[in-house]
Amino acid sequence: MQLKAKTGTTTPGVRRALAAAAAGLLASGHAKAQDAPVEQPSTTIDSALLFYHEVNRVQAIEPEVNVSHKIDEDSTFIFGIAADSLTGATPLGAVPSTLPQTYVRPYKVIPLGTPVTVTSASGGSTVVIIPPPTGAKTQTLGASTTVPPNTYPLDRGFYDQRVAAHLGWEQALTQTLKLDGGVAYSKEHDYRSESVHVGLSQDFNAHNTTVSAAVNYESNLSFPIGGTPAPLTVMNADWKGPDASLHEVDAVVGITQVMSRRWLATLSYSYSDAHGYQTDPYKIVSVVDPVSGQPTEQLYESRPDLRRKQSLFFDNKIHLPSDVIAASMRAYKDDWGIKSVTADLRYRWQMGPDYYLEPHLRYYSQGAAAFFHYYLVSGEAIPEYASADTRLAKFHAQTYGLKFGMPVDETSEVNVRIEYYDQHGNGSPAGAIGQLQQQNLFPDLKAFTLLFGFTYAF
Amino acid sequence: MKNNCNLCSPNLLCERRVDATAPTMAWLPKALLAALAVAGSSGCTMLGAKPWEHDLLAEHSMQIDSYPLETTIDDHIYFSKEGSSGGRSFAGGGCGCN
Amino acid sequence: MRFDAAAEALTSPRWTATAERHDRATQFTAMASPCLVLVDTPDDWVGAEIGEIVKAEALRIEAKFSRYRPSVITNINQNSGRSIEVDAETADLIDYSVLCYNLSDGLFDITSGALRRAWTFDGSGTVPAAARLRQVLECVGWHRVTWNRPALTLAAGMELDFGGIGKEYAVDRALALAQEHTSTALLVNFGGDLRVSGPRRDGSAWRVAIEDVDRAGTAAGLLELSRGALATSGDTYRHVLKDGARYGHVLDPRTGWPVVDAPRAVTVHADTCTEAGLLAKLALLRGAGAEDFLKLEKVRAWCSR
Repeated sequence: MQLKAKTGTTTPGVRRALAAAAAGLLASGHAKAQDAPVEQPSTTIDSALLFYHEVNRVQAIEPEVNVSHKIDEDSTFIFGIAADSLTGATPLGAVPSTLPQTYVRPYKVIPLGTPVTVTSASGGSTVVIIPPPTGAKTQTLGASTTVPPNTYPLDRGFYDQRVAAHLGWEQALTQTLKLDGGVAYSKEHDYRSESVHVGLSQDFNAHNTTVSAAVNYESNLSFPIGGTPAPLTVMNADWKGPDASLHEVDAVVGITQVMSRRWLATLSYSYSDAHGYQTDPYKIVSVVDPVSGQPTEQLYESRPDLRRKQSLFFDNKIHLPSDVIAASMRAYKDDWGIKSVTADLRYRWQMGPDYYLEPHLRYYSQGAAAFFHYYLVSGEAIPEYASADTRLAKFHAQTYGLKFGMPVDETSEVNVRIEYYDQHGNGSPAGAIGQLQQQNLFPDLKAFTLLFGFTYAF
Repeated sequence: MKNNCNLCSPNLLCERRVDATAPTMAWLPKALLAALAVAGSSGCTMLGAKPWEHDLLAEHSMQIDSYPLETTIDDHIYFSKEGSSGGRSFAGGGCGCN
Repeated sequence: MRFDAAAEALTSPRWTATAERHDRATQFTAMASPCLVLVDTPDDWVGAEIGEIVKAEALRIEAKFSRYRPSVITNINQNSGRSIEVDAETADLIDYSVLCYNLSDGLFDITSGALRRAWTFDGSGTVPAAARLRQVLECVGWHRVTWNRPALTLAAGMELDFGGIGKEYAVDRALALAQEHTSTALLVNFGGDLRVSGPRRDGSAWRVAIEDVDRAGTAAGLLELSRGALATSGDTYRHVLKDGARYGHVLDPRTGWPVVDAPRAVTVHADTCTEAGLLAKLALLRGAGAEDFLKLEKVRAWCSR
């Protein structure tokens, strides 16, 4: 076959018209994934339903909804509400014993002379009548719980219902400067929290770098059932002290950087300063006999009034040809002596253009607070602060999770996530006295989470 | 050559382009490359992506906090079971659970 | 799209691209053709990414205008006689086809696919009866279509077929999409219709070879391409010899009869694949007058007979 180039001489219009027509056809940007242009949604409703279940401990259900509405290109209004309901059992802080133990706490105050008909309070505790002092017009009812031998003491009557709401605003001041702020409110049957925050973020380098700073102020009030106990006093059913408040200021500065077309990284430092009541009013510390290790009395715990926390957080998103990796690390320390590291890894496996499967791993390790004690020893000086709350102890925890997500249409998604959390501390600390050597002073905490999410944008 | 930038003078803008992996640097893992760029800062803007290269970054899953509601719920759960808190940002409103 | 592999893929001799050792190549099948993407980069990720983008776009266009699977085209064809609203991309392709129809005095007609019903080209050399052909011709002809963008109304029994422009359009679209993601040199080849983004990274040209029409699989010629696109239209493998005239399988929609004495293959070089493809088809449709048409229009082309 011969290849012979042919070129023309004069110009008639077909070629030129065709060239122009082809250019016109190809100029319109149809080369996108979808046929019709997708209008950017102006309102997004983000909702979630959480089912939380700790083995033999607390169960919770929490629905939550967030609505974000773009009023115009520069302003967004945010509103959210959440409610949660917790029931179950929570550790008292006391140590287990080879002998049965009884714990009593204030339950209700009634006018003197009122007939008492109820015999049991929540969690299987028994109502006891506390003899009033002479001349008193009211009397206190206590709730008494007995824990069988060799059982980790739990308060089985734990329940809590919380409702929270927040409002926020985001405003673009210039093409690169953004302001945001908001208020939040949360109320439980024994706690109230109000907060306000404001933040600023500035883009540089053609939106490749963002520097941000934000401040949050929080004011909390604690009004526990039975009143606020005086620190390190003996646990009894007397009505306790008045409400206690806590004020906290937090500040965060961060830098987010586009590292490459596929990698986004962010580094942030936060500092927080809390003044006020930070003790758990329901938790106790056992004082034990120096030889037998048997509990001799139970004291209400006490935590310092001041807490300064710092943390450094590094987060990354990396886009592989179709999957995305999210990897983050956090280092934390505070002046209560707690130091912790957290590592979190998620791999979003994009199975086809629509649904994805995302396994998740989280590792957490913390050191104990300076005033954490498994128990106090009778005869030794009582320290200024002491808590047996294992949440302040040395432990490590792993989370294993799997999330499945599916888009509903171009801008909406439904997803479900299941996770398993396993917290493990030292249940047999060295130097345990007497009967405590055979007890598990820190049972593992195992929890399952089932989370349904539905995001709808329009 | 614009694309072959090993060392940058303070005034030279080195464009990080998709095709600009200079042969001599092809063996360096990208993470190390970025770390070197940050460490050896001499005013050289080697990090980032051109505006038309922000396609992947615009995807929902590439936002730093792509599922904020989940993050809030997670943070709340961990706050009530562990001794640390915060780091990322603050969820509005405390609770009496720690 | 005409997915009859025998008719489409073997219609014309194919251009193939020669890959250099460092090119990142992605191969796949789409529109009943072997497709190849060559990315001139040592970066595996970019090569794979661009390959995926081009492949996705090819499959998208294939699916959207398929004559067999549920698609925009099957929806239009099943609803002939009724007014159908089409999306922007389909409307743009229709507008372009109308322009080509007018520029070619009716030679290029996207409603000509119905002629398939009369002509089978099964190698037996049979021609349809005049009455049958007249009947089928009732369903052919853009003048029977009402087009008021975005509303399209085909007369009952008519059908649309973008087979004459689909593959070339897909090459242009896929290249444009790939160029949004990278500025590196690339070549997109869908079954012989190909386009390059420009010269290679080092400034040299891409090497493409044309298959020999007589000996499939062997190269008959080599071309160095630094810019633009190549599209080939051919009538090589199927024809009927009757009364001394060679009837190919390319049909003139105005008469319903095959074009007489068309070149065996016409390859056109133009800035875009869409333009090259249309010019090649127009040349072929002029049969004996192919070379004159190309000469008159100052088209850079090669004809083989």
